[in-house]
Amino acid sequence: MRVIIIGAGVVGYTIAKKFSSEGQDVVVIEKDEKRIKELKESLDVRIVEGSGSSPQILIEAGIEQAEMVIAVTNSDEVNMIASLIAETQSRVPKKIARIRNPDYLNYTRIFERDYLDLDFIINPEKVAAERIVKIIEIPGAVDVMDFMDGRLKLVGGKLTAQSAIVGKKARELGRFFPSENIIIVAVYRGNQTIIPQGSTVLEEGDLVFSLTHPEEAMKLLKLFGNGGNEKAVSRPMIIGGGEVGFFVAEHLEKAGHQVKLIEKNEARCAKLVEKLDKTIVIAGDGTDRELLKEENVKDVDTFIAVTNDEEANILTALLAKRLGARRCIALIDKPEYLSMVSTIGIDVAVSPRLASVGDILQFIRKGKILSVKTLMEERVEAIETVAMETSDIVDTPLKDIKFPQGAIVGAVVKDDQVMLPNGHTVIKPGDKVVIFALRKTIPQVEKVLMVKPEFF
Amino acid sequence: MRLRVVLQVIGAINMILAMAMIAPLLVSLLYSEGDTKAFLLSFIITAVTGVILYLVFRTSGLEVGHREGFVIVAAAWLSTSFFSSLPYIFSGTFPTFVDAIFEATSGITTTGASVLTEIEELPHGILFWRSMTHWLGGIGIVLFGVAILPLLGIGGMQLYKAEASGIAGDKFVPRIKDMAKILVKVYLFLSFVMMVLLIISGMGIFEAFIHAVGSISTGGFSNRNLSIAGYNSVLIEWLIIIFMTVGATSFALHYDFYRKGFRAYRENEEFRFYILVLVAATLLVAINLRIFHYSGIGESLRHSAFQVVSITTTTGYSSADFAKWPAFSQLVLMTLMFVGGSAGSTTGAIKCVRVLVLLKFIYKEMYRLIHPHAVTPVKLNGKVLSPEVLKGVVGFTLLFLFVFVISSFLLAATGLDPVTSISSTAASLGNIGPALGTTGPMSNFAAIPSFAKWVLILDMILGRLEIYTLLILFVPAFWKG
Repeated sequence: MRVIIIGAGVVGYTIAKKFSSEGQDVVVIEKDEKRIKELKESLDVRIVEGSGSSPQILIEAGIEQAEMVIAVTNSDEVNMIASLIAETQSRVPKKIARIRNPDYLNYTRIFERDYLDLDFIINPEKVAAERIVKIIEIPGAVDVMDFMDGRLKLVGGKLTAQSAIVGKKARELGRFFPSENIIIVAVYRGNQTIIPQGSTVLEEGDLVFSLTHPEEAMKLLKLFGNGGNEKAVSRPMIIGGGEVGFFVAEHLEKAGHQVKLIEKNEARCAKLVEKLDKTIVIAGDGTDRELLKEENVKDVDTFIAVTNDEEANILTALLAKRLGARRCIALIDKPEYLSMVSTIGIDVAVSPRLASVGDILQFIRKGKILSVKTLMEERVEAIETVAMETSDIVDTPLKDIKFPQGAIVGAVVKDDQVMLPNGHTVIKPGDKVVIFALRKTIPQVEKVLMVKPEFF
Repeated sequence: MRLRVVLQVIGAINMILAMAMIAPLLVSLLYSEGDTKAFLLSFIITAVTGVILYLVFRTSGLEVGHREGFVIVAAAWLSTSFFSSLPYIFSGTFPTFVDAIFEATSGITTTGASVLTEIEELPHGILFWRSMTHWLGGIGIVLFGVAILPLLGIGGMQLYKAEASGIAGDKFVPRIKDMAKILVKVYLFLSFVMMVLLIISGMGIFEAFIHAVGSISTGGFSNRNLSIAGYNSVLIEWLIIIFMTVGATSFALHYDFYRKGFRAYRENEEFRFYILVLVAATLLVAINLRIFHYSGIGESLRHSAFQVVSITTTTGYSSADFAKWPAFSQLVLMTLMFVGGSAGSTTGAIKCVRVLVLLKFIYKEMYRLIHPHAVTPVKLNGKVLSPEVLKGVVGFTLLFLFVFVISSFLLAATGLDPVTSISSTAASLGNIGPALGTTGPMSNFAAIPSFAKWVLILDMILGRLEIYTLLILFVPAFWKG
């Protein structure tokens, strides 16, 4: 399959890398010469220099044979024009574009069939904001994701010294959780990613990802030694009134919290006040220590740093933490920073880039595979799929299936009944399953899921 | 530096080399001239070494980084030079070890310089193997590896860049593996077409193979002592002229031709320059020959064209003894030894594109003296070249000339005369083959001292890998941190 990716920013780069490693033919259009040099050094793709909104460049990139065009430059306008040209040039089967300006997003007619005919629109800011909102609701959680249309939640949390399960083996967990609705699917220890087996011993400081029913998420985190008895959120503070900040504030305000929002740009503040009724909008610099003190940061339970400047987000979050804020969430995109988040003491990092990459992948893989999500900086993939007849996975107890090490079945849905499996579970054709796997084992996992050819 | 990866790839390349040894083995069985045992032994040693290296150092993912790329390519060429000398050693073709290595290196680097005095008496298997090494080395033995091996991510590109000649062009298909496959296919196709045409024009199948492979790979090994002069056939000479020209044209451009037609060649600035060089040099030499050497215009033109194309494309076939030509013609040929054919082909030397860029650069520098404030970028194919590319071109050319000077001195130090020293170095560094003086086209390299042979062996590999790839391994900083 030929995929054309327009704009090799962080999102474009990650998708290009992913596709190329999966064996697709990727053509990247990028106009920055310096960036092109970096790409050449690190990606096995064809690179065309130029603007994605130029018909000539798109033809050079082979748009006529393209099966998918993904326009993810920083400019909504370029992305739209590129999609339009793709549409007129050759009616490319699938078109995905990044559109962030709410003005466009609210006027959806142009995305419809007769006009741009976009198959999927991504808005990283909105995706990130939704992610933040989800995480805020569960105190102590580092990451939260929905599976099976929200019937299951994947919750990531740190094991603290108070946790009862430190030093215990993964298979013993049922004893500690009365309903037994818990299955650990991934553990992040130091720099190591582990897909646990029954005998894996949990240690203090592990970042543990577990599937559970939504109503039991809070209990789960308590088991990890987090959260205590306090209410989820009560006094949140947001730094940065951009799209993300606004969306989060709006949501929290609706949920009845007293939100404080600090934004540098006064004109933007005026706009925010217009749209947000109960939120206290403060014009000022989030990195200003005195301002934070003045606004009583020590009583803040959730501190959310979501400005456009990720370095500032990290520093502000750390400053707030030192001044007494209990939990801090920062918007970070650079992979280099993401990997050291927990070491420097930031509780939660949310990356618009990774979030939107996940969304794009999920859209692309629609079909037999229901969804794909990535966690831990993409080292683990969660695949939601339907078990096929005659594939290796069905009609055999899980413990007898030759599943690659580094992959685990996290959940099974039988006749609309969600269950968390154990070794004796037998998957039937038509069941939905969620599989968690280290990236390098994905080809093996696909083999297990594959339908065997039948001869007469 | 992940040494495992390096050794594993070397193992794989050895296996490719071993596979290639099967062909001469079959030829030797066919003619049964006593060289079968040598090929069987060489095949076993090469294959076993390859398999052992590959299996022992097998890693889960073949990730080749920037530095591994250089080490792998340099090591692959050194090891291939050694292993492809095994048939010569076991069959006792040469009296000394250095001669066997010289012939093998000359073959694999498509130089075509020989230390054989009596080529025509050799068994067919050995003659076949000499040409086979040309074919493997022409497009690059590592390229075959890139086309076959499951290299991860950018790994193949690193290897391709370290081995490819000239300014590495952009990928014309998204995946490096597919590009390697396309290049190999173009190469196979051209070799096959030429072989068929040679057979039609009256050559035997065996000789047609040798000369088709020798021309497309711009190598220059023949099975005749007198090279192409031995046939004295105008038709064969013109066929070879055309295919040497084709072999030294960018293979990516051939692929472009397949898609776009003749427009591809017409629009390529390097190709136009390359043809201009060939035509201009042919005319100059022809005029000179007509005045001082031959009596007819046709004869002058025919021999001039053949020698000019042969030297410029760095093939090294000869239809006449140009070492006996007038000085002017010899000087033109000597200059062409440095120019070479187009980048991205099987040619050697500095390459037309670099020469063209240098000429443009010099012109722009002069232009700037006239208009001090003018914006004067150097453009190629309508695109502005970045200062880095320019620096690269100037740097490479200087390094090439530097290595040339040092090596010429080393040769002269062994007691060789100046013309032989200088021309042999140029002919080896540029992967051409025959030089002037005592190592001319109707003579060979057998008589020069063995130290000089070692120097030329190194020159051939340096020239084929465009110096940096091999030389960088001797820079201490490469191995630190």
